[in-house]
Parts: sequence; C-alpha cells; structure tokens
Amino acid sequence: MTMTPVAAPPAARPGAAVHAAAGRKRKEYLSLYLAISPFYILFAIFGVFPILFSIYLSFHNWDGIGEMRFVGFAQYTFMLSDPIFWKSILNTFEIWIISTIPMLAIALVLAFMLNQQIRGKSAYRIAYFVPNVTSIVAVAIIFGSIFSNQFGLINWLLQTVGLGTVEWLTTPWGIKVAIAAMVIWRWMGYNALIYLAGLQAIPTELYEAARVDGASWVQVFFRITIPMLRPIILFTVITSTIGGMQLFTEPQVLLGNSGGPGNEGQTMVLYLYQQAFSLNQFGYGAAIGWALFVIMIVFSFINWRLVMGSETRGLRRGVRA
Amino acid sequence: MTHSRRSFLAAASGLLGTALLGTSGCGRGGYLTPEGTISLWYWNRSISDTLLGKVKDEIGIDLVPQKIGGDYKQKLLTSLAGKAYVPDIAGLNEDIATYFPDADQFIDLYELGAKELEPLYLDWKWQRGVTPEGKMIGFPMDTGPTALYYRPDIFEQAGLPTEPDEVAAALDTWEAYLEAGSALVEALPGVKMIPNIGMVYGQAVAQQATRYLDEEDNFIGDGPQIRRPWELAVEAHQRKIAANALDWTPDWGAGMTRGTIASFVGAVWMAQVLEEAAADTSGKWRVCRAPGGAGNSGGSFLGITKYCRDPEKAYKVITWIQSPENQLVYGLNEMQLYPAAAAALEDPRAQKKEEFFGGQIINEVFATSAKQVKPVYLSPYDNVVGAAFSDELANVWSLGKDPDRAWEDALREVDRQLSHLGLI
Repeated sequence: MTMTPVAAPPAARPGAAVHAAAGRKRKEYLSLYLAISPFYILFAIFGVFPILFSIYLSFHNWDGIGEMRFVGFAQYTFMLSDPIFWKSILNTFEIWIISTIPMLAIALVLAFMLNQQIRGKSAYRIAYFVPNVTSIVAVAIIFGSIFSNQFGLINWLLQTVGLGTVEWLTTPWGIKVAIAAMVIWRWMGYNALIYLAGLQAIPTELYEAARVDGASWVQVFFRITIPMLRPIILFTVITSTIGGMQLFTEPQVLLGNSGGPGNEGQTMVLYLYQQAFSLNQFGYGAAIGWALFVIMIVFSFINWRLVMGSETRGLRRGVRA
Repeated sequence: MTHSRRSFLAAASGLLGTALLGTSGCGRGGYLTPEGTISLWYWNRSISDTLLGKVKDEIGIDLVPQKIGGDYKQKLLTSLAGKAYVPDIAGLNEDIATYFPDADQFIDLYELGAKELEPLYLDWKWQRGVTPEGKMIGFPMDTGPTALYYRPDIFEQAGLPTEPDEVAAALDTWEAYLEAGSALVEALPGVKMIPNIGMVYGQAVAQQATRYLDEEDNFIGDGPQIRRPWELAVEAHQRKIAANALDWTPDWGAGMTRGTIASFVGAVWMAQVLEEAAADTSGKWRVCRAPGGAGNSGGSFLGITKYCRDPEKAYKVITWIQSPENQLVYGLNEMQLYPAAAAALEDPRAQKKEEFFGGQIINEVFATSAKQVKPVYLSPYDNVVGAAFSDELANVWSLGKDPDRAWEDALREVDRQLSHLGLI
C-alpha cells in the first residue's frame, strides 16, 4: 500500500515502472498542454472550424437562416462559368500591377533620399508613415472627392493646365487608377521605411570605395544599393502581393459592393463579400473563398521559387567573388 | 506557485467553458434580455428615440431598445442562424421579401390580431409585409413615396413651366419629361436635366404593378414593366440629358449645389438628403407629381421573431410605436419618416410649409403619391435579378455598350442567376 511503484525493484516489475513513468510524464505534459490550450481552443473554434465549415458550406446553397441544400459541385461549376468572377480576378491583378510597381519604385527612391544627410530627417520619416495609420475609410472618402468626375481636385488641375477631364470613377481604367492611387498613397511610406532600414545596413565602405573610384550617383544606386537591397526588395514584393490579392476596403468604400460601373473595381475579396454578405449566397461565397485559396497557393509558390532562385544566384555570385 | 497556476488554469478553462456554452446557445441563457422584457433591434434614424423612451410610461412594457450599428442585416442574420440572442422585435428594411423563404423565423402578425388594424394603413405598403402564403411577418413603419424634385429658376431659363401644378401637367409622362430634358440641355449648355440614367430606370420600375418575379417565383422581368423603363433610360442616355453623377457621390451633391442638375425623381426622404448635400440652394427647389405617376422607393417594417417569449406584449409595443398618431408626431414630424398610416398623411399637423422648398407644403404632393402607389409583389430574389439589369445599364452609359446587346446580356445573366438559385 505504502510502496510506490517507483520504489519497486526495476528488475522485478519493469512493466509497472514504465507504466508509472509514462503516467507521470502524461501528467506533466497535461499541465503543459493545459497551459497552451487557451490558444489552441480559441484557434480551433475561430480558425479551424470556420475553415472546415467553409468547405462544407461551399457544397451547399444557404441563405444564412433557412435549410442548407446540398448541391454538390454546382457552386464551383457556376463559379467557373461566372464572367464577373473572372473579371474580379483580372481586376485584382491589374490593380495590383499598376499599384505595386510604381509604389515600390517610388518607395526605393524615397528611401534613398531619406538616407542622405538632410535636415529634419525624422519629420520626413514620420510624415511618410502617417498615411499607413490613417483610417482607410476616411482615406477612401477623401479620394472619392479627389477623383470625383466633375468637381474633383484632379479634374480641376487637369482643366487648369488645359487638359480635358477624365471620368475617373466611371471608366474602366479610371476606376483602377483611382484605387491604385489609394494603395500607393497608403503603402509607399511604409515600404520606404523598410527600404531605409535595409539601406542603413549597407556598409559605408562600399559607398566610399565607389566614390573614390569616381562612380556617379546613378551608378552607386544601381550597382551598390539595389543589389545589396535584393532580399529586402523581395520581402516588400511578397508583402505587397499578399496585400494586393486581399484588396477590399478601398474599392468597397469608394465604389460600393458591386465595384462601380461595369464591376470595374470589383476585386476577388470584394466579390466574395458581395455574394455572401450582400446577396446572402453563403455557399457561393465559400466557393469563391476556396478559389482565392488556390490562387494564393499558386502565388506563394511562385514567390517561393523567386526567393530560392535569388538565393542560389546570390551564392553563385559569392563563389565567383 | 503551483496553486496559483492551477487556479489560473481552472479559471481560464471555466471562462472558456462559459464562452463555449454561451456561443452554442443551446437551451438556457440564449436570450438577449431578461424574462419579462421585450428587446428591439433597430438601426440609426429608423425610430424616434424620444418615442422609445415613452414606451414604459405609456403602455407599461419594459422595452429594451438596442440600436444596432454597422451592417444591421448581417447581425440579424447571424443571430437568427445562431438561434440565440435573437431580438424579440426586429426592424426589417425595404428588402423584407428576402426573409420570405424563412418566414418561419417570424410570428404571423395576423394571428396576433393585425387584421383589424389593416384598414388604417396604406394597402400597398401593408401587402409588402405579407408573404405569398398569406403570413404577415412585417408591420408597416415608414414609406418612400416618390415625386419630381426640380429647380423652377433653371426651368424658367430653359422656357419650361415653373409652378408645381403646371410642371406636373406638362411633364406627366416620362416621354414628356425626357423631351423637356432635351429642350433644357439645348437652352442651357452645361446644365443637365437628371443626375444619371439609373434614376430613370429605377424610378420608372418603382411605379409599376409588377416587377421581376411573380408570386410563384417565375421570371417575368422580360415584360413591358421592365422593358419600358429600360428603354426610357436608354433614351435618356441617347438624349444626353444626364450628368452621369451617381447617387451618394460628391458629384451628385456638387451638381445639386451648383445648379448643373435641374431635377430628379426621388422618394420623400431624398428631401433631407438634398437639404444636407445642397444646403446653399435652400428655397430654390420645388416638388411635384413625378412623370409616369406614383411610385415608392424605400421604407421599412417591424417583425416579431419566433424566439420572442411574449409575442402579445411585443405586438402591443409594435402597434403602439407605429400607431397613426405616433407615426405622425414622432415619425414624420420628429424624424422625417414618412407615415404608412393613411390618417397621418391627412392630418393638419403634417401640412408644414418647408422653407427649403420655398414655403411649399410638399406633404400634399407626397401624400397624393403615397395613396396612388400600386401594390406590387417584390420577390426574395429581386436584388439578384435587378442587379443584372442595372449593371448592364451602367455599361450602356459608362462604356458605351450597345443597348440591345446589353439587354440580351442582362437576360442571359438573369438566366444564369436563376439557375444558380435553383429557380429554373
């Protein structure tokens, strides 16, 4: 009775000892598991369950309240034949391209300039970061006024310099440019600060050596700055890609749930939102969600290959050096 | 140390457990408010808060009004889908028909004695709260009778009539209205007759006695009640009388303020929108009967959900809040919510001279419109089907798409959507 299994001679009762040790271990683990359980339980409820449920949902027709009706792959086949779905993908990529490329280019130049010895450096840095923390809804409303067709600031400027006006918010490219402008304005400073951090990690000897060799600013920028910043640039490209694929608030506030005239500002996520939460077609919304998932996987794969490719290239260059 | 960790863990798991029970909402504890009270969900500016504050004193019922911000409908759907924390009384908006397939979520107001109040309210409005099976899920709140808003000073410059009666007589049809639009645009370059052609389509549709689907969910939207408004909108586009300023945009407000848009057809609640968007034009506007006749746009309802523990009490709250007297005093005169009760429209207290409209008693125009609106069946799928037409119409004016091709494409899209919904 008083003898504990631990005290038993190991040779006599090996099984029991192992058993007891396992029991003790389990008990020890249990408290560890309990300690981390709040995260996992919440994650299971608000992360795993909705993901699994959305798979289930995508095979049903459901208006949000009534009975769910099983429809097999009907939501997916409808999606593949849905012109607006394809249009929303195209729109997303078009907006992504016309926003990301100018944004990163300008951000790089900005960072390069911020890295020079200028007065009031911190003030500039703060100023460039402010758009990033501004309420996106307020930004969308302001941009709505700036790009307004007849009385907008941009059209007024165009008229003042003698050019014709552009119907920004009602023409296909006007809409995309307006949305891209919002994205650029909001994220340019953020990316510039990231580049700036990267710039400051570049050893000054490289610049000094270049100057001694008589390199011009342009040469310094393209031969030293850009190659040294390569990993940082890749990082910003990846984050901008993720952000660009998830574009939602800007077009929603600027143009409403249908993405403006001709659905020209309809992005993938906005389309999902419109179908599920505005038209109450939750099954279809879930199916679109899974299509987005597939597209994201493809893009992540491409990104991953890009990063891997640059690393091997970098290595090779290292060997050559 | 061990002890405190244990008690922390116990407390944490206890909390989690409560949260789990709470969200699952099975059985007990799934109610919004304590037994004996009635909960009400409404959105900003849909009911007078002064009125809600009087419920306790006037009819002795403990009402707990909860003003729901953000996406009201989503929150209501979420609570209904979760079958827990559902309000006893819920405001239902103009799209009340989208709840018809789930009418079992609501209590039939006819069973609570609503039939005897029916003669007091506008018939067309009342019918919109009743399902095709004859179950009444929504009690009439406000309505949105339509009229023509116009600027007599601009009309005068263009040689058009200016007094409301004359304008109503001269522009009694859409054809006459569009014709006058051409005359105005010709006389006054830079001024347009209407904000956008979507308005012509939407307001002409709102005047019809049928819409996209019939009560058996058969598609009828290729009929004249849709085709004619479509043609009128296309004609407005071809006549170039629209400013292409979309509703709710800065362009719309700027056009109204600067006098580059001379008129529009809109619901009674547009008066307030106009006053806020173009405050500087106070006194310059008038209202008269809309071309094509009376129509309605907007308006809401109150329903009692099946989770209500005391439907009779909830019914008492609804009928008191929306009584003809309260619709007049707290609805119209305090909140500018246009009454659904016929008596409230006629009441002398409703006949106020509006300064923004140059001292005109605009209620006379809207009351006449409200009484002439034709009953129409609105289906649960109108928002899906209607979008096919309005999207294609937008392609016509914004992208210059051929109108006939746009019409064909709209019908094709409707086909696709209806088969997706399982209706054909």
